Amino acid sequence: MLEHLLFGNLTLEAIPLHSPIIVGAGLFMVLVALAVVVLITIYGQWSYIWNEWITSVDHKKIGIMYLILSGVMLLRGFSDAILMRSQQAIAAGNNLGYLPPEHYDQIFSAHGVIMIFFVAMPMMFALLNIAVPLQIGARDVAYPYLNSLSFWLTFVGAMLCNASLVIGDFAKTGWLAYPPLAELYYSPGVGVDYFIWSLQIAGVGTLLAGINFIATIIKMRCKGMTLMRMPIFVWSALCAMILVALAFPVLTVTLALLFLDRMFGMHFFTDFAGGNIMMYINLIWVWGHPEVYILILPAFGVFSEVVATFSQKVLFGYVTMVWAIAIITFLSFVVWLHHFFTMGAGADVNAFFGVATMIIAIPTGVKVFNWLFTMYQGRIILATPMLWVTAFFTTFAIGGMTGVMMAVPPVDFQVHNSLFLVAHFHNVIIGGVLFGYFAGIIYWFPKAFGFRLDETWGKWAFAFWVLGFYVAFMPLYVLGLNGFMRRVNHYSDTMYQPYFIVAAIGAGLILIGIFLQIGQLIVSIKNRHALRDRTGDPWHGRTLEWSVSSPAPLYNFAVLPTVDSRDPFWAYKETHLAEGHVHPKDLHFQPIHLPKNTAAGFIIAMFAGITGFALIWHMWIPGVIGFLGVILTLIAKTFSTDTDYYLDAETVRRTELAHLKEAI
Amino acid sequence: MQSDVIAVNEHHSDNDTTDVFGFWLYIMTDCILFACLFATFIVLNLPGAPGPDLKNYLNLSDVLIETFLLLFSNFTFCLAVLNLYQDKFAKVQAWLAISFLLGASFVFIEVSEFIHLANEGFRWDLSGKASSFFTLVGTHGLHVSCGLLWILLMIMQLFLLKDTNAIKRRMTYLGLFWNFLDIVWIFVFTIVYLVGAI
Amino acid sequence: MHHHEISQPDYGTGKKKLGIYVVGLICCSILTLIAFGMVMANMFPRWAVFTVIYSAACMQFLVQLFCFLRLNTQTKQGKINVMSILFTGVILLFIVAGSLWIMWNLNYNMM
Repeated sequence: MLEHLLFGNLTLEAIPLHSPIIVGAGLFMVLVALAVVVLITIYGQWSYIWNEWITSVDHKKIGIMYLILSGVMLLRGFSDAILMRSQQAIAAGNNLGYLPPEHYDQIFSAHGVIMIFFVAMPMMFALLNIAVPLQIGARDVAYPYLNSLSFWLTFVGAMLCNASLVIGDFAKTGWLAYPPLAELYYSPGVGVDYFIWSLQIAGVGTLLAGINFIATIIKMRCKGMTLMRMPIFVWSALCAMILVALAFPVLTVTLALLFLDRMFGMHFFTDFAGGNIMMYINLIWVWGHPEVYILILPAFGVFSEVVATFSQKVLFGYVTMVWAIAIITFLSFVVWLHHFFTMGAGADVNAFFGVATMIIAIPTGVKVFNWLFTMYQGRIILATPMLWVTAFFTTFAIGGMTGVMMAVPPVDFQVHNSLFLVAHFHNVIIGGVLFGYFAGIIYWFPKAFGFRLDETWGKWAFAFWVLGFYVAFMPLYVLGLNGFMRRVNHYSDTMYQPYFIVAAIGAGLILIGIFLQIGQLIVSIKNRHALRDRTGDPWHGRTLEWSVSSPAPLYNFAVLPTVDSRDPFWAYKETHLAEGHVHPKDLHFQPIHLPKNTAAGFIIAMFAGITGFALIWHMWIPGVIGFLGVILTLIAKTFSTDTDYYLDAETVRRTELAHLKEAI
Repeated sequence: MQSDVIAVNEHHSDNDTTDVFGFWLYIMTDCILFACLFATFIVLNLPGAPGPDLKNYLNLSDVLIETFLLLFSNFTFCLAVLNLYQDKFAKVQAWLAISFLLGASFVFIEVSEFIHLANEGFRWDLSGKASSFFTLVGTHGLHVSCGLLWILLMIMQLFLLKDTNAIKRRMTYLGLFWNFLDIVWIFVFTIVYLVGAI
Repeated sequence: MHHHEISQPDYGTGKKKLGIYVVGLICCSILTLIAFGMVMANMFPRWAVFTVIYSAACMQFLVQLFCFLRLNTQTKQGKINVMSILFTGVILLFIVAGSLWIMWNLNYNMM
């Protein structure tokens, strides 16, 4: 009895020893994790890691941790992609390939979940954390402790998803787990439960971060920075976070209802006793559509920053850019049905949502033209971030066009759930979101780490990524138009095989691109002294983040700035360079009020992870302990009064003078 | 860009405004959460849905009592806040205690109702109608229960903590939360109980 | 409208006054009794009952917003709060109304 309460359904059989691939992957993952732990122990860095990183409430450090998480999970998500491409390249006709359906189904499900929730979202929060507070002239985000909690909740969600690789299995339902397949009867294992809890926990983290950034942007802008003087990246961040705040509760509810069905036998989405399967699909896409706009808006924001900086010209059409972002934000809530045109709605409903979907392409077009007009007659510098932008223009335009094609319901009836759809969304997510985030990472890397990334390696990585993308996904458009459906692990007609072989080659090219990015990182770290950003302004930038040292000091600004225009740093440089001053600094320094580090975020997240794992395996005692741990830690933290301190003026003065010396 | 010196203590008041704004944003997200539960409830209770109706098990007078309990709890909490801004901390604790008792009575009646329904056969795994009823009303009840725990914590913190700014801020959050729950209850009793009883 | 203490933070809510709370309590009580009364009396046509209870709910919602939550546009933060709730409300209506329209439409077409 006690054993059952402690271990629930968890037995040694949960470890998937039957599949050599899973064993290999799992072993690799465990060994890497162990290696990291061992290395940290050998070099005696545990107190450093704990004090400087795990308990940090500094947005700059949290941003870096989000970046590392997204990079690591990109490797796992991309491995899934390589598995799928190689399987489909060989599994034609008599050859069944090496991935049976039960395994293949988990791979495409995990691939989608990981890429969206544990690569794209963390990458976005990395950029938001690194850039937004600096761009608005603030010392940190509105709620630093909440920021830490958000990161660790996302981390725990990712770890739960990783745990499913070695203990139990993952959902075989696709990344959105439609019922009735996701219901207990058709998915009796733990896979869907892993899906539910990794997303639920990470989702709470995301929602809290959304609230955090809205409050930060609305309330903590420096003096003189009105809403219409904010950098466009901050506008796009604000609107993306508004989308997060309004859309993620829908995901929370939907996953909770699915959980209630599975755990307590309720009938929200069952196919009998009054359940309504389509309600799940409706709700999940009410969340799902804003989600993709959450991902793309910050990428658009990056493009605005990069295009202006590397064309050395003010962004064209600031006001229309803001309007475009606002309209996209609003419209993203009225198009969700286009994800299920084929699932039984009448022509009137389909027509409404189809038209709305087409309308939403217009503000995006406005933005693209504004970027192009910014580049026109600018003095363009084709540094790597700018290269990613140029690749984005073409790639995203193609992806957007195929999207508008599918916005027409009769067309969608032909290509829904085919590889045409798969090609479309990879086209816009890779071409839009990923290219944008890569550009942003390279652009802000010096600000975060103090040295630039190697340009040559960056350009080669770029080349392989872009070429690889086209080689991998253009065949999928053709296949989709020829009627080939998604989520298929084997096909009997070998006439399709050449396309899949080409696609697999494309995936291989992207793999090389990823290796080159890893190489870029290693080489840049090795050469970090040569690549050091001494002035804090490596790109001759326009916005406030470039006015502080690289990396930014703990307190961001020794003295909070006052601005009186857009592109305030550019304006400052113009006037002060004319006067012959490079970095005049006010030499009166005040003590700076800063929040203290706290372990609470990390601890709460760990307890949340224990609760999630326990609920998955029906381990009731650990579940109760985990849940109580979350609640009690939350409550205990509110009794703590030792939450902040003052950094003395002398330390500030020394830091600022050291930066000045290096810059000059 | 001019350099400007910000007084070291000036921002505390601004911080409190920002903090309460953040909580207001959380309330907005909770609105969306309840909206989804309401939408689900309505969809699963469309005419023709299988399973017995709530009507057969309903006792509207209980719901009326619950409504007034929560409404008065809302009111007494506002009285607590009034006293807080006059720094009459003992009175604050008294009104908080009354709010707690009223709220706890609400939860007690609701839980009794759930147990009664389950005994009569209207269990949450019976049908979509039942599942959506228990989940919508139960989620509201859970929120109220968390609020009750929070009220107890505030009473404790009024004894233990010296930082009245923090207490005022937290009472403001709790006030928003408690008011919001009463607002959600308006829609619960209308859409679930009154419409269900027609 | 200025708060009586200069250091009072701007929470975006109106000045707290006993009178308004009492007015709110009375209005909400009356609206509640009307709504329950219509249903429990069991003597009114369906359409009338529906109209009254939904109107009463909406009115009570507004009363609570103004009297208890003290939503107002007097202060800067108050304006921000009102804008947030308006935007949330619009999106909420879209989500609920859109979902109901879709689900009703699916029901009609597929059943």
